[in-house]
Amino acid sequence: MYEIKVAVSGINAVDNPGPGVGVARSLKEDKELNVTVYGLAYDAMEPGIYMDWVIDKSFIMSYPSGGRDALLERLGYIKNRHGLDMIIPNLDSELPIYTKYANEIEEMGIKVYVPTESQYKLRGKDKLEEVAKNMDIDLPKSKVVTSAQEVMEAVEDIGLPVMVKGAYYKAEKAYTTQEALNHFHKIAAEWGYPLIIQKVVKGEEMNIVGVGDGEGNTLGKLGIKKLWVTSQGKIWTGVTIKNDAMLKAVNKFIEFYKWKGPFELECMVDKGNVYLIEINPRFPAWSYFATGCGINLPSNLVRKAFGLSLNMNNDYEAGKLFVRYTYETITDMTAFQNVISKGEN
Amino acid sequence: MDRLQKLAVNSEGFVFDPTTGDSFTANSTGLFILNRLREGKSADEIAEELKKDFENAPEEVSKDVSDFVTHLHTYNLM
Amino acid sequence: MIKKYEKPVMLKIETGMMNKFGSSPYYTRKVRTEIDGVKIDDLVNEHGSPLFVFSESTLRQRYKQLYNVFSTRYPNIAFGWSYKTNYLPAICNILHQEGAIAEVVSEMEYDKARLAGIPGDKIIFNGPYKSISALEKAVSEGALVNIDHFDEIYDLEKVAKNLDRKIKVGMRLNMDTGIYPQWTRFGFNLESGQAMDAVKRIVNGGKLILNGLHCHVGTFILDPNAYALEVEKMTGLMYDLESKFNIKLEYLDIGGGFPSKSKLKGTYQSPDTLIPSIDEYAEAISTALYRNLKGGHMPQVYLETGRGIIDEAGFLITSIVTSKRLPDGRKAYVADAGINLLYTAFWYKYTIETDRELQGTNEPSMINGPLCMNIDVIEEGTLLPPMEKGVRLILSPVGAYNVTQWMQFIEYRPAVVLIGPNKTVDLIREREDLSDIIRREKVPERLKIKA
Repeated sequence: MYEIKVAVSGINAVDNPGPGVGVARSLKEDKELNVTVYGLAYDAMEPGIYMDWVIDKSFIMSYPSGGRDALLERLGYIKNRHGLDMIIPNLDSELPIYTKYANEIEEMGIKVYVPTESQYKLRGKDKLEEVAKNMDIDLPKSKVVTSAQEVMEAVEDIGLPVMVKGAYYKAEKAYTTQEALNHFHKIAAEWGYPLIIQKVVKGEEMNIVGVGDGEGNTLGKLGIKKLWVTSQGKIWTGVTIKNDAMLKAVNKFIEFYKWKGPFELECMVDKGNVYLIEINPRFPAWSYFATGCGINLPSNLVRKAFGLSLNMNNDYEAGKLFVRYTYETITDMTAFQNVISKGEN
Repeated sequence: MDRLQKLAVNSEGFVFDPTTGDSFTANSTGLFILNRLREGKSADEIAEELKKDFENAPEEVSKDVSDFVTHLHTYNLM
Repeated sequence: MIKKYEKPVMLKIETGMMNKFGSSPYYTRKVRTEIDGVKIDDLVNEHGSPLFVFSESTLRQRYKQLYNVFSTRYPNIAFGWSYKTNYLPAICNILHQEGAIAEVVSEMEYDKARLAGIPGDKIIFNGPYKSISALEKAVSEGALVNIDHFDEIYDLEKVAKNLDRKIKVGMRLNMDTGIYPQWTRFGFNLESGQAMDAVKRIVNGGKLILNGLHCHVGTFILDPNAYALEVEKMTGLMYDLESKFNIKLEYLDIGGGFPSKSKLKGTYQSPDTLIPSIDEYAEAISTALYRNLKGGHMPQVYLETGRGIIDEAGFLITSIVTSKRLPDGRKAYVADAGINLLYTAFWYKYTIETDRELQGTNEPSMINGPLCMNIDVIEEGTLLPPMEKGVRLILSPVGAYNVTQWMQFIEYRPAVVLIGPNKTVDLIREREDLSDIIRREKVPERLKIKA
């Protein structure tokens, strides 16, 4: 098998971990592929840089806010100097620039398998009503609001308590109208308009990670329930589940939108009812869970991109446990010095 | 021992302060000045050496040295 | 071996800031030695620093590009040049040459457009304050007046009476297009029924003939769909008026507010990632027009783009006059231009280019203006290589609003030049001197200081 050089970002495996290290580890575990993994970091202290058993080489990147030229120049440098065949961006802040310039990056000879710009827009909370309808599942009763007046009307209509959500980030629960207004003003100030007022639905939170091939087929998926989360809401222990209604809805999602690339869906399941809560157009931080259960999504993504045979074992066992733990590595300052002064190691 | 003496400095300009755990990076002229300060040379002497050793060092090079020293003061290294 | 000198720097490596490229946009390290082929040095030697520079070719190209993307989709379209964005006569005349009519929002701007030779019927007159004398002048010269409020209906009826004829008027609307903040203080609100009340009042008065609708949803609008919604609501009202009052409108003025490639403070993504292309706006607007207009009906549509056309054609050259080290370790530069010339610095982060290749490591820096005021900051925090006195910065885009909103405070306002075809450089506004400041000042005889 020829060598494939794949760069993954989000190697900040910290208390609010990025997905990169899990993705890198998945790629390394596909023994039929010969993948060299590059870590793309934004800070010299991202732990992935120091995990040389998972990540072969690391590069500091200019921030996504640096814009198109800075990104293409840096990718060009890595490609010309070290070779680069594919990139898997894993961070929310990177997706706008990677989706917008996916074609130009492909033209440089670097594969990038991300959602199209119109697919990317579906993650907006103001779009979820339409998405849920096309997936044949429910959305908790929601209203899109842009003013205090509308917040009050929405609360009146939906009934307390409500969730107050920004279009892309942030969600707060409110038990009174005044509380809803306070959250509304705070989230609007930080993240802008519109916001969503949503009914709080009962049930259990379940998540699915999957990859679509852009033609309406799935390259694999896995459903889980979080058993224990950190104070930041990040999974620490979880279990695989097979909820037929939810899995069926995910197939519809991939088919209807011809979703391209990785995604995570967050749902609330109450007996037979599945409610759509959130779409994340990237791998979640726990995507190694699927790999450990025999469904290696990152490797299938790479295989699809290079036209290699896919590993289509789509079945997994319910009741597999995910246990995250902490681990320390001790190193001298050489790697740190290199990253600081040369921007790579 | 003087704070400056205790610094671990490599040839690429990476500077580590074992007293505080702080790290710094210096460019080539910064490293040049730092090393001479560690040898106990005065700002004036260093300015003269800079003029000799570096191509197109400006006339007001002593202003740059004094700015650099002020910066070391803000780091509490002097 | 003789090494190349660069300004000495030693930077502390801070947690959360360990990125070689820094948290500031990468483009801070760009070099620009010329604008449209004319050397920065030559421009400054001839006209001084600071200096506003406009590129005629960029301006014309940008106009043509915008006009083409809209007119190829909907032919019956015209642009009204938004005078308040930049009313230097040379700039306005370029846009008039390209085919724009004038869009003014005050009597002063109206007079400027007339002085430039623009006939009244090629002027759109908007704004919340139009004096009765201004209205009289504009109406008698055939201008398209868009009414902002009820008192203006009365004022215009008086004008009609004085002129002893019925006069055509337009009406400004405000509406919810999903944009926040919604601009509700201009015109008549659609959703509350205020607009319909105004129409009834106009019809009942019998002196005014409503012949157009105007709306301007906001500024720096990043969602093309807002315009689609605006068009849908305006055409809806238009046909409503036709069926209820038999009013046949001649034009829809859908305003402006298209963004330029400036970096709005508080946004994370770079302008090239964040800002939709002008084609997306044109597509949204034309699709909405064809979806909502009745077959074969093609009313005149006006667009009032200002920033979207001129912002990227304008540059400000400013020189570093000194630098100092702040107690917190940051480098603070003083430039000869500040917020007195860059009113938009409050909202936008400019692209900063330097006139020469700079050696040395980027360090946390701020750039201050020349005013003796703490708020005079052009750039509060960025990473820049060390710069010596005399280095020139080229700030862009600054073509929109700065040359109209600049203030005369303790400094003379600088010259403005236009680079035309074949590298010609024309002075289009002279640098001010003391005579400009004192020309209208009077000192009573008893207060004169006697030698």
